[in-house]
Amino acid sequence: MSFITRIFLTASIAFLAFAPDLARAQGATPQMLLHPPADSWPIYHGDYSGRRHSSLQQITPRNVKNLSLAWAFQTHQQSEIKSSPLLVDGILYFTVPENIWAVDARSGHQIWHYIHPRSPGEHIGHRGVAMYDEYLFFVTPDAHLVSLNAKDGTVRWNVQVADVTKGYWTSMAPLVVGDHVLVGVSGDFDNLTGFLRSIDPETGATQWQWNSTPSAGTPNQTTGGMTWMTGTYDPDLNLVYWGTGNPTPVLNGSTRPGDDLYTCSIVALNPDTGKLAWAFSVSPHDTHDWDAVETPVLVDGDFHGQPKKMLMQTSRNGYFFVLDRTNGKSLLTIPYGPVNWSLGVDKQGHPIPNPEKEPAPDGRLIAPDEGGLTNYRSPSFDPKNGLFIVDAHPSWSIYFAKPADGLYGWAGADYDVWGKAVLEAIDYQTGKLRWTHELGPWGSGAGVLTTDSGLTFTGDAMENFLALDSTDGKTLWHAGSGSEIVSSPITYELDGRQFVVTSSGGVLFAWALPE
Amino acid sequence: MSISPSRAQQTALATRKSYPPDLVQKGAALFRQDCSFCHGRDATGGETGPDLTRSRLVRSDINGDKISLVVRNGRPDKGMPPFDRTDDQIASLVAFIHKQQNNATAFKGRGNGGRKGVDPSDLQTGNAEAGKKFFEGAGGCSNCHSPTGDLAGIASRYKGLELEEQMLYPRHAKSKVMVTLASGETITGRLAYLDEFTVGLIDDAGYYHSWRTRDVQYKVDSPANAHVDLFPKYTDENIHDLMAYLQTLH
Repeated sequence: MSFITRIFLTASIAFLAFAPDLARAQGATPQMLLHPPADSWPIYHGDYSGRRHSSLQQITPRNVKNLSLAWAFQTHQQSEIKSSPLLVDGILYFTVPENIWAVDARSGHQIWHYIHPRSPGEHIGHRGVAMYDEYLFFVTPDAHLVSLNAKDGTVRWNVQVADVTKGYWTSMAPLVVGDHVLVGVSGDFDNLTGFLRSIDPETGATQWQWNSTPSAGTPNQTTGGMTWMTGTYDPDLNLVYWGTGNPTPVLNGSTRPGDDLYTCSIVALNPDTGKLAWAFSVSPHDTHDWDAVETPVLVDGDFHGQPKKMLMQTSRNGYFFVLDRTNGKSLLTIPYGPVNWSLGVDKQGHPIPNPEKEPAPDGRLIAPDEGGLTNYRSPSFDPKNGLFIVDAHPSWSIYFAKPADGLYGWAGADYDVWGKAVLEAIDYQTGKLRWTHELGPWGSGAGVLTTDSGLTFTGDAMENFLALDSTDGKTLWHAGSGSEIVSSPITYELDGRQFVVTSSGGVLFAWALPE
Repeated sequence: MSISPSRAQQTALATRKSYPPDLVQKGAALFRQDCSFCHGRDATGGETGPDLTRSRLVRSDINGDKISLVVRNGRPDKGMPPFDRTDDQIASLVAFIHKQQNNATAFKGRGNGGRKGVDPSDLQTGNAEAGKKFFEGAGGCSNCHSPTGDLAGIASRYKGLELEEQMLYPRHAKSKVMVTLASGETITGRLAYLDEFTVGLIDDAGYYHSWRTRDVQYKVDSPANAHVDLFPKYTDENIHDLMAYLQTLH
């Protein structure tokens, strides 16, 4: 070997020894997904538990008043950001329908922007991408799953998940579990079978499909049960937990007597086979459009003195549920706001629907409204305070259905009468509200993030970002954002600095303490 | 006896033009993408949004003059966002929406998936006498309202669903606010803005003033709040009876 070659080889080895990361970024490895490091947010919820709770403590109740804007990223388009960004290897990935941006989390500048060709199907919202290795997974309004290379946004493959011409569309952030990409579907305006599909991340091939409801036209059986939102995962039990949507026809239950399984349910599935382990009916025989698709939050903790593996959900129908997630048995079912449609709760923890409060030709006054006592913005579980914190919407509405409305799709009409937004901190063992924080009239607040330092990050109905003291809900910091906040916050550490990233309208904001 | 067409009917006849099928088709496709979640694929109402086939604004719209403004500006007070669309795109939406309204009666009983509407004839199941009793008694309505005063002719101003919605919660009723400064001086006016941090009012001369909430005391007077207090107290029978009573006040 020549002298020059030896020098070159030595230098190369030295270079590679000290700079291994430059050759290849790590992407979202299985290890990262199971134990997200502080400098990541690799899953829609942050981690598989869905608690949206961070162990980061740099920003505290004492110093949060100094929180300031590190950078803003403006998308220059009209769709409101409803997605939770992912943060992997210093790059943020977030979406609106048919668009993905990759943004450098240090500079706040765009690396690439993917624009999907305009497709049929509802463009009402988009919850974000999922990541596996160096690939992103993205659903489209016409119910396709697209896989892209994270480094440059080029498309690897595109597969159909459902038929948009039948009334399906998709908007959710998929969930990657092992070597499965789990995708759910939307669509309430047609009598459709709901399902969860597992797709191979390398090839796009279908691995399994779990149907929440029978085929349309099965006598006396329901359709619906759409899988609108992202579920959660317990790696020890190897179970994914998913919420299903309301039955169709929506406001008329006459063709679907009984509990309408598995609509408005929380189900536990084996992610490798799609086999159902257990199911719990959150709203048996729903006639108010109250999906049970809110985050099924997984918490290990004490319940009345006994250690339990729990699953908690604040559901659209107005009830807070605590289940034993090993077997689906109810531990607690209690309203977390005004509810007037039930005759109480049965011995198994299911609300009992009052037939007098089903939609009627001359109308019925119902609490909550169709949007529900909460909707898609994420709640957070704070283990230090034992609080389940949720953006709640106490509300009233009138529901109508008559034979002339038919038996297809919506099959009736409902109208919001009044509502407001309030943040509720629920003691998970009793359902009692430890504190509340008023958020404004009519609409809703934002999703919720809590941290180990004792902070609750959220937004109100008047466009303000808020940081609250998790023990009593008092405001410690705020910033007027200039537009509606319809997303849930995330946080991560980068270069030794903690960032909280929020969005409002079409703008992403990164907040941190001054350097 | 023949009756000449009402003005509404005249407008309807004037705008009941036929639109080119391909324009309507383009409009239907765009409507599904942008509008159908709230308004239903067939425009009869979806999740949260109203039935456009029964809309007065649509009925009085001529070649999109009103519809285009709603699409471009949205309805921020009602939760509809703005949509920045080209003239051609708006024309296609206008064609589709008008076609849907013109054909609305054909949808009765047929499955089209979208939400269906409420007619005044659906809201006639109550008893006016019982409604009057509720108005003067348990409902407490006569604390603020009078059938010969502010509610005289209410049934001519509002009909059907709109009357019931206003009865349950009059969302346009204005709130007043009294602000007390540190000096003790008080200012009253119409409440113009309120969040946790800022209170704003329009004074009697029409000027806007605002203060940080931390710097002042303020008291809001929202007459509509009495309606909210009734929600947990109403039976559905009360509501239908009250509607029957109000509909006698022409």
